[in-house]
Amino acid sequence: MTLSLQLEKLKHANSEVASIRGTMEKFKIQTEKLNAWFGNNHVLKDLSINIKENEATAIIGPSGCGKSTFIRCLNRMHELVPGARSSGVVLLDNANVYARGIDPVTVRRRVGMVFQKPNPFPTMSVYDNVAAGLKLNGIRDHQKLDRAVKRSLELAFLWDEVKTQLDKSGTSLSGGQQQRLCIARALAVEPEVILMDEPCSALDPIATAKIEELIASLKDQFTVVIVTHNMQQAARVSDSTAFLYLGQLIEYGETTQLFENPTEELTERYLTGKFG
Amino acid sequence: MARLMDIGLERLRNMVLDMANLSENTVSTSIDAYVQGKDLRERIYGWSEQLRMLQDEVSELAVELIARYQPVASDLRFIKSCMEVAYGFSRFGRYAHDISDVFGIFGDLSKCDKTTIEQAGDQAKNMIRVSIKAFTERNVELAGNLKKMDDVVDNTYLDFVRKSASNPLGDLKCTVSGTLILRYLERIADHATYVGESVLYIVSGERTARR
Repeated sequence: MTLSLQLEKLKHANSEVASIRGTMEKFKIQTEKLNAWFGNNHVLKDLSINIKENEATAIIGPSGCGKSTFIRCLNRMHELVPGARSSGVVLLDNANVYARGIDPVTVRRRVGMVFQKPNPFPTMSVYDNVAAGLKLNGIRDHQKLDRAVKRSLELAFLWDEVKTQLDKSGTSLSGGQQQRLCIARALAVEPEVILMDEPCSALDPIATAKIEELIASLKDQFTVVIVTHNMQQAARVSDSTAFLYLGQLIEYGETTQLFENPTEELTERYLTGKFG
Repeated sequence: MARLMDIGLERLRNMVLDMANLSENTVSTSIDAYVQGKDLRERIYGWSEQLRMLQDEVSELAVELIARYQPVASDLRFIKSCMEVAYGFSRFGRYAHDISDVFGIFGDLSKCDKTTIEQAGDQAKNMIRVSIKAFTERNVELAGNLKKMDDVVDNTYLDFVRKSASNPLGDLKCTVSGTLILRYLERIADHATYVGESVLYIVSGERTARR
């Protein structure tokens, strides 16, 4: 076989592999023309995006661009705000979470959320904080609860630090530990997607690094969507990044590509701080 | 309002431009010295060392900017490219030194026909000038021209080698010294082309496959 023929065959094989990979790539969440309002304020405009399964996707953009609203639409938390409404489609595993008859509570169990400030239930122990969601879902079996609490705390990289103080109040932990406790609480109900709304903004660099390591490890089992103001954090933890501006999706792509060579001028200006 | 990082980027740019001027001068002087049969080894070695030190300074500043400001997008591409371009300019210095060293190895070469080397030298000098202009102006078109110019130097070198191989009875001293110098010029031309590739990368983010 001539060298050129061999090269041609290799090229063909490579393109086949790429095409198979492309078809195997699974989207966990897809939005189509998603719009959101607070009263008359139109905060999300026709946002269509495909979020890959078992990846961390970062949502970046200036304050007020609709980042938090976007992720709150993904698990139907947006509608909890008085005067808030949305339109469009949010598909979770190809099923519209806004379809008639879909229970928002079920959606929120499948799509958990971690907030900016750690918010453990103040009157509950570490153990009860993690077990709360399970108990609400009717699980009473102590052994089952024990196993779930341990597993969730281990997944949240917190077990070794709190295993001897499970009865202590959740609020007695440090800020970073409290945030990981909230992550453990979200993980306990075995969600498929974890939404994180600036989870490190109230944490010191050490605690932040722990959460970032945690995000990297969670990707194996969950799909993570993180809203962050910290672009370096987005670059560190995410596989894909979406840049939002004034409620619109300006650019979405692989994190490395977006941070090294953004396609849109607006993204370039935002990333390099030449904005406004 | 200027960004803090801009002060550092400007410093970096100026350092690379200093290197550009010095490297152009170093290569030109070494080629001219060879053609005119002058021994300028010491001076050229000094400049080549200066270029090497400047390259270290560029790397240090680039790393400092990355550590301090964590640049992204065009800022990151510019810093990365400055490191590559500075390396290219330091290689110009090194090859200029190698060219001047030929005098030390072979001594008097006044009987050799230097026409081919003079022509290839002019082309290499021109390529350096074009690469510097392309970098200074971020001119993608000029940067793109460097590939074609490089082909001229490549062909001159290969033709010389082929002709020398087919004429074993020629003056060995002239043949070997000429081959060495053309090889150095060919490498200089390659690095000028790489500078052009860096310009393309800074402007568009595109990477060209190296030959």
